[in-house]
Amino acid sequence: MANLRDIKKRIGSVHSTRQITRTMEMVATAKIKRAQEAIESARPYALSMMEVLGNVARYAKGVEHPLLLEHEEPKRVVAIAVTSDRGLAGAFNSNILRMTERFIAEQRAAGLDVDLIAIGKKAAAYFRYRGIEPIAAYREISDKPTFADAKAIAAHVIPGYIAEELDEVMIFFNRFKNVAEQLPEQHRLLPIRAELIGEVAEGSDVTAEYIFEPDAASVLEYLLPTYVETLIYRALMESAASEHGARRKAMKSATDNATEMIGTLTRSYNRARQAAITTEIAEIVGGAAALED
Amino acid sequence: MERTLLCEIVTPERIVYTSEVKMVIVTTIDGELGILPLHAPLVSALVPGEVRVRYGNDEVEWFAVSGGYVQVHEDKVIILADQAAAASQIDVDRARNALDLTKQRLEDLPKEDKAEYDSCKADLKWCELQVQIGGKQRS
Repeated sequence: MANLRDIKKRIGSVHSTRQITRTMEMVATAKIKRAQEAIESARPYALSMMEVLGNVARYAKGVEHPLLLEHEEPKRVVAIAVTSDRGLAGAFNSNILRMTERFIAEQRAAGLDVDLIAIGKKAAAYFRYRGIEPIAAYREISDKPTFADAKAIAAHVIPGYIAEELDEVMIFFNRFKNVAEQLPEQHRLLPIRAELIGEVAEGSDVTAEYIFEPDAASVLEYLLPTYVETLIYRALMESAASEHGARRKAMKSATDNATEMIGTLTRSYNRARQAAITTEIAEIVGGAAALED
Repeated sequence: MERTLLCEIVTPERIVYTSEVKMVIVTTIDGELGILPLHAPLVSALVPGEVRVRYGNDEVEWFAVSGGYVQVHEDKVIILADQAAAASQIDVDRARNALDLTKQRLEDLPKEDKAEYDSCKADLKWCELQVQIGGKQRS
């Protein structure tokens, strides 16, 4: 039978752990809301941009751009892994890390060079430990990403792609499906999938003939890099919202487990106390009986 | 009732401004462009510069825009920019401080780092614009 004082101590420690996990859960809940709002307020920009891109694609047929061009015989690919700075978020980071690692292994097996861009401390630490040094590592942006962050990341890959130094760019991030669910996904950033823009053009009901100033090619020149930046920005925001979602879930189950544990411990504490009292009474009764004789 | 335009200024992070106006003046690569109602559908690239909107009562409001593009379609003007701010919202002193800091950073920056250099140049331009346009009050 465990010692009474030890049990009491454990109850105390589980109790304070629960206080921490519960606070983290509440903080994460508040942050999910903020992150979701950020995604929402980015939507008008993304939608208008898609619309214009669709129009350009439709009315400026035959316009080519290096970012749309697929490279023959790829030699070098870039993987962008979006993780968080902090842990305690369940499988949030490990899903992405495993996915990215598998991708790198596959590409290497196919004889390609792979460069890594690590976003979040977790990705940088994980891959450094495995001997893969990221060509760029970002930290302290995963909690509240800004468009400037996305721009900075894009600046690592866009010039390289245009100069044909790299042939494909993939991004790995958690998509925010809903508050309770995050889906690890991989998307191809470059080359831009031209058919994707085409689809939007089909879907929109805009029939007007647009004037492009100075011309369609120049508009495209500006739009396509921005499109890539928007995609990265979106991935960063999805990941931020997912991180808080995953943390909330992890912390909720931790809090629940702690509550259950406190219950169990309290029961064994009471049992132990009862046992001690019973023993004491038995001893007293036994002692009294001995005196009477 | 006079025809009006719906003007929207949007950045990737938020909608900066949306209102019914009489006229929108933007700075394109080829120079200033005034947009009135019933304008033909247009997509044009913008350079970092100012955007002016004129209301029905001839009041004018200034905005600083860090480049981007404008789309005109059916009396709707959408300005998409990386950064945008209303002149009345700009803190000129802060922008001036930021300008000095960015200048300093630009000087210390090695020329080889092309990407960093370019982004710094863009920051600088944005700070200058804010200082320049921030002084202009709604009139």
